Amino acid sequence: MISGTGKGFGHFEMELQLKAQELVSVLNEGNLSDAMDIIQELHEFRHKTFFTEVGHLTRGLHEAIKAFSSELGSSLQLDDESAPEDADAADRLNYVIEVTEKNAHETMDRVDKALGLVDQLDSQSERFKDLLLLVGQLEKEHDSLNGVYDRTCAVKEESEKTIETLRTELTDIVVSQSYQDITGQLIRRVINLVTNVETHLISLMEMAAKVEKLSGIEVQPTTETDQENKKNPIQAEGPQVKKDSADVVSNQDEVDDLLSSLGF
Amino acid sequence: MNKDMKILVVDDFSTMRRIIKNLLRDLGMTNVQEADDGQTALPILKQGGIDFLVTDWNMPGMTGIDLLKEVRSDPNLAHMPVLMVTAEAKKEQIIAAAQAGVNGYVVKPFTAAVLKEKIDKIFERLG
Repeated sequence: MISGTGKGFGHFEMELQLKAQELVSVLNEGNLSDAMDIIQELHEFRHKTFFTEVGHLTRGLHEAIKAFSSELGSSLQLDDESAPEDADAADRLNYVIEVTEKNAHETMDRVDKALGLVDQLDSQSERFKDLLLLVGQLEKEHDSLNGVYDRTCAVKEESEKTIETLRTELTDIVVSQSYQDITGQLIRRVINLVTNVETHLISLMEMAAKVEKLSGIEVQPTTETDQENKKNPIQAEGPQVKKDSADVVSNQDEVDDLLSSLGF
Repeated sequence: MNKDMKILVVDDFSTMRRIIKNLLRDLGMTNVQEADDGQTALPILKQGGIDFLVTDWNMPGMTGIDLLKEVRSDPNLAHMPVLMVTAEAKKEQIIAAAQAGVNGYVVKPFTAAVLKEKIDKIFERLG
């Protein structure tokens, strides 16, 4: 939770009203010199309040990001020893990408094996065809085999259709692994955001520290000097989350329409 | 369509490269090489021998759109068919890709049927 100073702007307002009343009363008394002093006090007080407030908000935000890093860490480490220890938010999120990538490949390994089995079924079906021809010939010689050839052919056709459906389903499983790419790209954007916010936050804190020093504002000591973590800037935008936006296409048909309107 | 043609698949996610490779295999095209961004793809292309380029857009190093522009500006590669397979779905991006000379544009996530259809279409047009 990000919060401001204990006193905050409520205190500022109260103080302002008190000083204003004081100002009016000294002015009514005709005491200009005291009035000028009060105006000067008000001026300093305003500065002090704003700087302290910004400083506290900055620290709060920084703490929130640090807490996010460690919470993410403890929720990811579970029982996997390869999870990075002592890592920041960007590392943790990169780890999510790695894990999903590994799992997507494992799924595809199994699907590849299954597709190999489907190929075997296909070749067995070919061998079956030879046997069927034999049945066809025997059928003519033995009345008791009457109709067996046709019935077996029907079963064979049915099983070939099943094999084809199975192949399509397995291919769809492979294609659906693209979620890993899509989510991975979004996670990279979050990594970028967190990294950017932290970098700017550090600049802001440094600036606040300088202002505090120059204006002689006393604040509680803090320990933040975290490393800047500059990762690859991503030029493209990645997957679109808000698909209903007017400048974003929502499906392949719209891509095709747009391209054909351009003469493609 | 020549089934022996050499295809370069460029994507920074190995998952996606594998998906595209599998689908190409279903189409009978098994001569596939991979690269993980434009920077590694370009030298492979310049070496010659690649007949068809399938590329993502959003990649570190060199993006797919920059790779496409490089390809179109190289007299040896300028006529290579290029299919973009990407999550970038803004109209202005699709228009930019078209203007840069892309031959087909597939948005992720896609189905096997869509990818096959777009590849068929590209080679139909090229004759």
